[in-house]
Amino acid sequence: MSLASRLRAIGVLGMNRRNGVYTSRWNRRAHYPSVDDKLETKRLLRDAGIATAPVLAVARTYSEVRGMLRELDAYASFVIKPAHGAMGNGILVVSERDGDWFRRTGGQWIDRRALAYHSQSIISGAYALGGQPDVAFAEERLSVHPDLRAISTEGVPDVRVVVYRGVPVMSMTRLPTHRSRGRANLHQGAVGAGIELDSGVTNFAVCDGRAVDVHPDTQQAVLARAIPDFERVLEIAVRASDQTRLGYVGADVVVDEDHGPLVLELNARPGLAIQIANRAGLVPRLEEVDRRVRPEMHWPERIALGREIARRARGGALQ
Amino acid sequence: MSRSAALAGSLLVAIGLAIFAWKVLVLHLPVLPSDVENLWRVELEIDARGSGQRGSVRAALPDSDSQQEIFDERQTSDRLVFTVRSEKGGQRTGIWSGTFDGVHNLTQAFRVQLSEQPLPLPTEVGLGPPKDVVDAYMHSSGRFPSDAPEVRDLLANIAPANPSDPLGQMRLLLGYVADEILTASTGSDDALLTLAAGEGSQVGKARLLVALLRAAGYPARISAGLRLGAQREGREAVWAEAWVGGEWISLSPSLGFFGARPPDLLLLRKGSSTLVEETGLDALSSRYRVLRESLRADEVASFMVPSNPILAAISLYRLPVGSQSALRILLVFPIGALIIAVIRNLIGVRTFGTFMPLLISLALRELPLGLGLGLVGSVIALGILSRLLLERLQLLLVPRLGVLLCVVVLAITAQSLFGRTYEVKDLYASVLFPVVIMTMLIERFSITTAEEGLPSAVRRLTTSTLAAMCVYPIFRIAALEHLMFGFPELVISAMGLLVWIGGYNGYRLSELWRFRSLARGFEDESS
Repeated sequence: MSLASRLRAIGVLGMNRRNGVYTSRWNRRAHYPSVDDKLETKRLLRDAGIATAPVLAVARTYSEVRGMLRELDAYASFVIKPAHGAMGNGILVVSERDGDWFRRTGGQWIDRRALAYHSQSIISGAYALGGQPDVAFAEERLSVHPDLRAISTEGVPDVRVVVYRGVPVMSMTRLPTHRSRGRANLHQGAVGAGIELDSGVTNFAVCDGRAVDVHPDTQQAVLARAIPDFERVLEIAVRASDQTRLGYVGADVVVDEDHGPLVLELNARPGLAIQIANRAGLVPRLEEVDRRVRPEMHWPERIALGREIARRARGGALQ
Repeated sequence: MSRSAALAGSLLVAIGLAIFAWKVLVLHLPVLPSDVENLWRVELEIDARGSGQRGSVRAALPDSDSQQEIFDERQTSDRLVFTVRSEKGGQRTGIWSGTFDGVHNLTQAFRVQLSEQPLPLPTEVGLGPPKDVVDAYMHSSGRFPSDAPEVRDLLANIAPANPSDPLGQMRLLLGYVADEILTASTGSDDALLTLAAGEGSQVGKARLLVALLRAAGYPARISAGLRLGAQREGREAVWAEAWVGGEWISLSPSLGFFGARPPDLLLLRKGSSTLVEETGLDALSSRYRVLRESLRADEVASFMVPSNPILAAISLYRLPVGSQSALRILLVFPIGALIIAVIRNLIGVRTFGTFMPLLISLALRELPLGLGLGLVGSVIALGILSRLLLERLQLLLVPRLGVLLCVVVLAITAQSLFGRTYEVKDLYASVLFPVVIMTMLIERFSITTAEEGLPSAVRRLTTSTLAAMCVYPIFRIAALEHLMFGFPELVISAMGLLVWIGGYNGYRLSELWRFRSLARGFEDESS
């Protein structure tokens, strides 16, 4: 059997099909701004009572950068982000400070001027999707949940949930490594571990396209890990996707040590690597959702539907 | 693929192909260019402005001779009267005369077949010149001061009279003016000033040579014409002609030929360096547009005056030469877009910027691939280096991009100078180099390096280069250019193919690799 037909048999979703069939049909362009602007997403979710990472300060113009840094004097650690960034670009994490010197994750020390320059670069649009003028904001630095501390280095792991028409269809946790420089991006060397939607337990993991059992830095097992508070993770992912009116969303949730699950950001063009981390294709699940979902279903019913579909898919019933 | 996309794509492909088939099968238009060599279309465009007074514009008209064949002459006269005057010695002049009121757009067009055959030098060198030639082309004058003492002295020094070998003496004179006198576009047009300064314009050098030839006892005159090349505008050239052995031979101290004209030179005017002149006008501007033909004359006629009236109305061959050469490039663009779509959506290669490879290859189309890549590569390398240094200055985005743009412009300027020194012809002639695209490429490369690491940035730069290399040939294939220009309906078919690609929901080639472990079920990796 050829490679393509085997992928088709598994139901792997390709980029052309994702764009041509799913995002173009279910994600109307008019609703993109609510997810492409992270501050706008936060406002939307706060109004709906969904927890997000707390914002410490915002700078919309060059002149506001000084004010933002002054407000940050009250914090020992924080994260500076572009409101319109993509793929984690332009994010600067300060994990420790000593007066006007700041320690980035990874160990590099930078001074206040470098911090101001980075914020101004963000505002001038260096990291924005289309290069348009942007907004820089500082977020509270989240802390890794104790259950996941053994399997993440230099950064905060998150949980990605793909929500299709309000139904969670696939999920994975992305564990930063030394090689990914603390980022939770699979193509930069982070570990991706597939999560069983019905149990909330990891059952497979990849790093650089290879199956792994343990975290490459800590050598701790990444399989059979229960994601803390996974019920709540699914709940806020699904409810957040309802707020955006987008039909095909990747919700990134962080389980913070103090705040519990928080929505970090939403993505209208979620990547396809989640299928590798789950050793499964998305297409059978998406098609089953199309057959079963009803507009009158509330989020608890849709979560139950997603878990049932995932369980049946794993059993091979959908293929 | 959705049914509507498949249908729309098929419809577009079919419409384009149907028109194409009708033109080929019913009207018998040639699909492939013929192997014509050195056939050109030349068009003189004149803008003449007057305010109600009578006047005239005169332009040199070319004649057929053993090295060039002129045909298919045409002109527009825009409210004026056009006449042709033939002078003794065969020079023809086209004259537009009448009342000049406002701006008159005059054109004079013709086709010319230049000969590639080498022309033998005259053998009967002892043959004396007839009286009318002696009368017209032997005397000393202000322009050709053959009696001036410095000319006489120079002649005695470099080439003393040698009745048995006039060609040898002429060669010595040509060699002196060609090698010892520099050619400078800012140099003098005057023969004696040119000699004194050791530097002169094309005209100055040609006049000096004519003066020397006359002083040596040969009838000589100045001639002017055009060098035809890849550039869309013909470059004017001036050289000398000497009468020996019963015929005129050509000698160019600027282009360096002796005997026959080179195969890219068109002779327009004998006995003068002026191609276009006026009397009684307020202002005059003129330029020669040049286009290399890819069809035989009769085939061009089948496109220009087709039997079918609808086709005649929309034939691109009836456009002015300037528009034609622009459209010839423009109509190839859809093919480039098609290739880019295949590369990105069917193969799944990531590049910097969607159409960046297309624009880079457009800019490089007149250069050999290796040279072009070397030039672009060195500009980008310099830009990346500057970007690294700029990083320390912590500049804001737009000024930083501005500085990078300056670096790109300077790099291109330096390359042009370098290219001229080493005579690698006009590197960037008639190319509006995409400096903005290059600047953005450098910036994106730097950002990608910072964000995703150097290997990732280098990988994407490599794929972008490969994409540009795939697109580059389309701008160089004469057959494709002819096909798209003669049959622009194929653009509709290209649209159809693009609709097909746009509707393709299957895997990209790169995804087979990306998801290969899924297809194999991870069997060879699981430990």
